[in-house]
Amino acid sequence: MRLPPGRLKLAAALLILVAAHLVLRPRFAPSRFAPDLVLVALLFLAIRTRPAVGALAGFMVGMLSDAVAPTTFGAGAFALTIVGFVAGWLKAVVFADNLLVNALIVFAASWARDVLQVAASNQLRGGALGMQLLVVSPAAALSTAAAALVALLLLRGWLTATPSR
Amino acid sequence: MTIGSERYGSRADTAVFAVCLVLSLVALALPEALRLPIASALRRTVLLPVVTVQRQAALSREERQDVLTLRAERDSLALASALLPGLRAENAQLRSLLRLRGRLGYGYVGAEVLHQTGLADGLTLLLSAGRREGVAALAPVVAPAGLVGAVLSVDAHTSVAMAWSHPDFRVSAMVEGGRIFGIVAARRGETAGEVMELTGIAYRDTLPAGTPVVTSGLGGIFPRGIPIGTVQGVLSETAGWERTYLLRPAVHPAQASHVMVLGLDRAADTLAAAFDTLPAPADSAPQP
Repeated sequence: MRLPPGRLKLAAALLILVAAHLVLRPRFAPSRFAPDLVLVALLFLAIRTRPAVGALAGFMVGMLSDAVAPTTFGAGAFALTIVGFVAGWLKAVVFADNLLVNALIVFAASWARDVLQVAASNQLRGGALGMQLLVVSPAAALSTAAAALVALLLLRGWLTATPSR
Repeated sequence: MTIGSERYGSRADTAVFAVCLVLSLVALALPEALRLPIASALRRTVLLPVVTVQRQAALSREERQDVLTLRAERDSLALASALLPGLRAENAQLRSLLRLRGRLGYGYVGAEVLHQTGLADGLTLLLSAGRREGVAALAPVVAPAGLVGAVLSVDAHTSVAMAWSHPDFRVSAMVEGGRIFGIVAARRGETAGEVMELTGIAYRDTLPAGTPVVTSGLGGIFPRGIPIGTVQGVLSETAGWERTYLLRPAVHPAQASHVMVLGLDRAADTLAAAFDTLPAPADSAPQP
């Protein structure tokens, strides 16, 4: 079975994003504000395929990220399943291959992921919860959205909104 | 299939979403006895290349950053090593005279902290050393400044540590000198992992701000004398019964990059001499 060139390019772009996440993230300090390029890859995939693929990919990425932090096992999968599904669904509602719209979706998704994960994991309370959701999460979402913009500019030819056929 | 509302509203999409959601909720509800083996299996299989790449990236970053420092240190060490045998003998004599214990020196494994995305980073830490390197479950994890946590689960080349900021973490503590004992835990509700609380201090005992608090060695996990934090002030008190103190931690787990995993055989040791926690005597003269 041969994949169409558009799919191959998308897969290559997503792989580049995941590799960049693994290689570049350790260099970014402080790490809690570092862009999450795996989330960016997940959103690009969800936006360019169908909501079910977004949900499934979100679930798998979430389970893997939970495996390295087993104290909140399942919380990441829960959050990313919803984010992946909604990203695919949102794209149908407000489809626009526009840089700013994409960045806004990434920003909102990153923040929403943190809110859902905090709610599911029940690890933070009081001031810590406020600090996380009102300061750290928006700042991390902003850096993730900025990274998504850069990725879109660099990989635009590979990330054209290819509908799934 | 084209971009359009008809394909997004399909029942198949909703069904896949529902199944994934239910599975993630099941994972959330799993007891720890099942959760840890599943997480460990994922780390050993699917995540192995990912963790390997991340570990290599962390190591290469260290190598690049440190090359100039290492060169300077190598030159200094070459010079200093000429004087080493004499100094070592003299030091051993003096430490023996002062009845000081040896420094950390042995019985630990160095590890990199592989920070992850997500909110749990800082509560649990992925370490770049595992069973093959000599790490065991429940082994204490320390940084040069003090306590970081304890190992929760171990794989072949990685391990997961529960940091002190984790809500389930507790450590028996004492004020240096071994006169006052209590239990230290993360202060929940405060800025994530920023402060600790020392509970169970008898009402008759007062701890002034700045008092160092170290591990007591009770419980058989943590050796005695590892710095935990310093007293900031009284947090709450039960009149006539006990006080709870706020502590400033010696180490912030979310910022730790290198740690040492101690061997379980060191649980009975006293490691106070390995950490610089003793406050300078009031009458000590400043060093020239």
